[in-house]
Amino acid sequence: MKQPVDFTLTPGFITKLSLMMGMALLPHVANVPINISLYLLLLLAWRILGLYIDKLQPGRLLLFAVTLISIFIVYSQYQTLLGRDAGVALLGMMLLLKVNEIRKRRDIYVSVFISYFVVITQFLFSQSAVLSLYLFSVVIGLTSLLMEINRVTPSSKVYRPLIATFKITLQALPVAMVLFIVFPRITQPLWNFSSEASARTGLDDRVTPGAISDLIESSEVAFRVQFQQPPPEKKQLYWRGLVLWDSDGFSWYTDEKRPLGRETIKLWMIDNPIKYEIFLEPHDERWLFALDIPLEAPPRSRLTHDFQLLYNDRVTKPISYSLHSLSRYSMNRISPGQRRRALDLAENITQRQRNLVAQWKAASNSDREVVEQALRYFNTELFIYTLSPPRYQTNPVEEFLFEGMAGFCEHYATSFTQLMRIAGIPSRLVLGYQGGEYNALGDYFIIRQYHAHAWSEVWLEGQGWVRIDPTAAVAPERVEYSLRRDFAGQGAPAMFEIDGGGALDSVLRHFTHALDNANIQWRRWIVGYSREHQFTLMRNFGVDSYTSMQWSFITLGILAIVLLLVGLTIIRQGRLLLSPAQRVYQRFCNKLSSIGISRRSYEGPLDFAQRAARNRPDLASQISAIADLYIELRYASQENDRRQQRLFARRVRQFRPRAR
Amino acid sequence: MAAFALTNRLQQLRRRAKPESRGKLRVAPRSIYILPTRQGMLLALLLLLMLAGSINYGSNLGHLMTFLLGGIWLITILHTWRNLLGLTIQPGEAASVFAGQTADFTLRVVNNSKTNRYGIALSAMRQPGGTVDIAADCGAELHIPVNTQHRGILPIPEITIHTTFPFGLFRAWSYAQLDLSCLVYPKPAAQGEPPTKAIYNHSDSGDRGVGADDFIGLRSYRLGDSPRQIDWKAHARERGLMSKQFGGDRSDQVSLDWELLKEYETEQRLSLLCRFILQAEEREQSYSLRMPGEKIATGSGPLHQQRCLSLLARYGYDDETAG
Repeated sequence: MKQPVDFTLTPGFITKLSLMMGMALLPHVANVPINISLYLLLLLAWRILGLYIDKLQPGRLLLFAVTLISIFIVYSQYQTLLGRDAGVALLGMMLLLKVNEIRKRRDIYVSVFISYFVVITQFLFSQSAVLSLYLFSVVIGLTSLLMEINRVTPSSKVYRPLIATFKITLQALPVAMVLFIVFPRITQPLWNFSSEASARTGLDDRVTPGAISDLIESSEVAFRVQFQQPPPEKKQLYWRGLVLWDSDGFSWYTDEKRPLGRETIKLWMIDNPIKYEIFLEPHDERWLFALDIPLEAPPRSRLTHDFQLLYNDRVTKPISYSLHSLSRYSMNRISPGQRRRALDLAENITQRQRNLVAQWKAASNSDREVVEQALRYFNTELFIYTLSPPRYQTNPVEEFLFEGMAGFCEHYATSFTQLMRIAGIPSRLVLGYQGGEYNALGDYFIIRQYHAHAWSEVWLEGQGWVRIDPTAAVAPERVEYSLRRDFAGQGAPAMFEIDGGGALDSVLRHFTHALDNANIQWRRWIVGYSREHQFTLMRNFGVDSYTSMQWSFITLGILAIVLLLVGLTIIRQGRLLLSPAQRVYQRFCNKLSSIGISRRSYEGPLDFAQRAARNRPDLASQISAIADLYIELRYASQENDRRQQRLFARRVRQFRPRAR
Repeated sequence: MAAFALTNRLQQLRRRAKPESRGKLRVAPRSIYILPTRQGMLLALLLLLMLAGSINYGSNLGHLMTFLLGGIWLITILHTWRNLLGLTIQPGEAASVFAGQTADFTLRVVNNSKTNRYGIALSAMRQPGGTVDIAADCGAELHIPVNTQHRGILPIPEITIHTTFPFGLFRAWSYAQLDLSCLVYPKPAAQGEPPTKAIYNHSDSGDRGVGADDFIGLRSYRLGDSPRQIDWKAHARERGLMSKQFGGDRSDQVSLDWELLKEYETEQRLSLLCRFILQAEEREQSYSLRMPGEKIATGSGPLHQQRCLSLLARYGYDDETAG
């Protein structure tokens, strides 16, 4: 008795299986510590070598010991065996130990299924289009192994099972898409492990000297923006993130213990609001970004009195939201509490600073003029805009203003805000991004970490909170062009990237923009697909709740249609082959049916011929001759008799019945 | 009782594929059953787990991948079903065997479609047969070994044709009633001599009969020789297994008679007769067989042997079928 296990348990096949598992695990290298990665690699190598070198074949006892060691390694690394990170490391080890004890076909199934699970866990760390494409092919590779063990002889070509599996996967794709679109999204986690925030680059809620210049090193995308109308000028793109009210003379922050109270602020529009959509990358913080003054809060977030948008949770996965913003506006009043706080001074204000401000105040009649004086001061004195300023350690503002005079946006913004407070003008620090990189292919802006920026807002009577960017006074290029990151050494002035460089640059930019465009479409439609999108879509069908029965009906209905269509294509592939004799006979039947005698499904050729002959005695001899030939050809296994075949074909051709 | 009635009812509900003319059978669309295998159910369970994980971590791509695997799981039903659809089974002959031996049913499975079919397996009476891949517009021969226990006609009321291709997640199967049967000869009795007076005939070729009286020489060992016949001394001299031959009886014709074995019960009688027939063939004697109501005239050779053995195998069966 030949069992189809023959080739499935050979070293060759298990090597293939092990390598596929390795591929499923590979992206985790970025997610687990290096020593875990190396340990996993060791296990994989041990398995594959063991297939060929008998001495390395592990016994049961050794395998058990290694299992215990693996658990110990995971525990000592993470201090737990639960949760995402430890779970993934443990899963990888168990998977690679599982291949070490493949003895039956069942073990192969189990190994492949665990690998599927490993693939799913990759998406807990990254959901990029490239990774998805990679994992999609890994799944096809894994599944093709199942196809191989369900056939008897190994495929002659390595790629055949892959292509066959790929086809089946493509047929499954519509089903997957339907389920993806309609399956209810539950926003609350079902269970919760201790939060495992990974370190991400992004803005911090505290500005210390050097905080932003660190960010400038990163070209990671912070968010993307698509305008619903012609976008404002680049130098007007100030993306508000968070507002900092308090300073201890060294850093800026917002003291959570000092609530500002709720108050209503009246806004007058000077221009029409700008409508746009933001696709935010996860940054593990609660704040959302908006252009200047947002007018409303997106779902699951709130708008604070100082126009910050705060999300209900930390943003741990990509989200998107639409907003209206005002760039030109006026506000009515400031509450005494706010005013007091916006004038609070740190203790390390020096007499030199007070003297400087006193000079400006003496030379001006209004707050607005003081602001202008200050900006002029930054502009005319020998201030240098640089990414690598000297370290200001004891009193950063003092050292920057009067000693170093070289700094980055955070230095200008913090000093400016502090000087305004000394002058009695309520002011606060705003942290966010400035500018953006336009992607013409997708008609949107990419805002990267190196667009991070800090500026100031001052309260001017009659106007309200007005954005003032002292950096722009020193280095207007900063707000018009992006920074070039290839700056040279300590103290070197910052360089700016001016659009329209060399041809190579433009090709490169074109390419990266195309890639980014694909990525954002992916983000927008797949990764960022949310409950809100779902409801917008389902409202077209008049359904507005998960609990509505119609929701299930529509789901099942669409699914049924898709399955039917896919099913039909599959069945069509397996159509029966008709032998030449059958095809000719089919023609004969068609001719008879054209004169009103149709063959019934249960009628054999003989019964049919007899009935036809009874109906048309005038054709009886022809009909019976054809039927006899056919029966002989078909059932007396003479299908290969060429002469008979030709005779049969001729008879049928010559058979031209006419209706009476 | 109720359970029995239910299974009975289920048996009736099963759509068995009935053979077309000339004993062929084509697997029809509506005669195919399909259920998840153990692996299929395991994967379904795992998919639920993956879905729970994706929901918990709010991972959209986790959802998508889970649904993709779920889609593959669903689509596989159709592929497994189609893998069986339209295959034609042609029954072949099963050579007669002695009771206790394994009967080998040979069937031909023909694939008249444009697609290759993989992992097509047959089984009968819970005994697995072979598995084959059949290319488009090709056929393949499959064997189902069935262990025999009793003498008589071994009917195979139904054959199961099944497959788990492509991924082993589902098993599709169909029952085929092909009226297969195998004639099972009685198990030959261990040893014995016919309780009959041998008829002595003069033979031109001289005294070449087989008997027990006079040693006439050695010949090489044949299967079925008694250990007492073996020349162990020759064996010890490393000349191989040799059997001592005794002559002198000069009997070259045996008449075997059912009636002469009255002291044994029916099956034992048949076993003995079977042994005698084999012995007679072995000794190159000619023999006749008399059974109740039937007699086969003296003869020899494979065809004659087969007729005689068949008569033994069928003993009691013709009456039953008539009744």
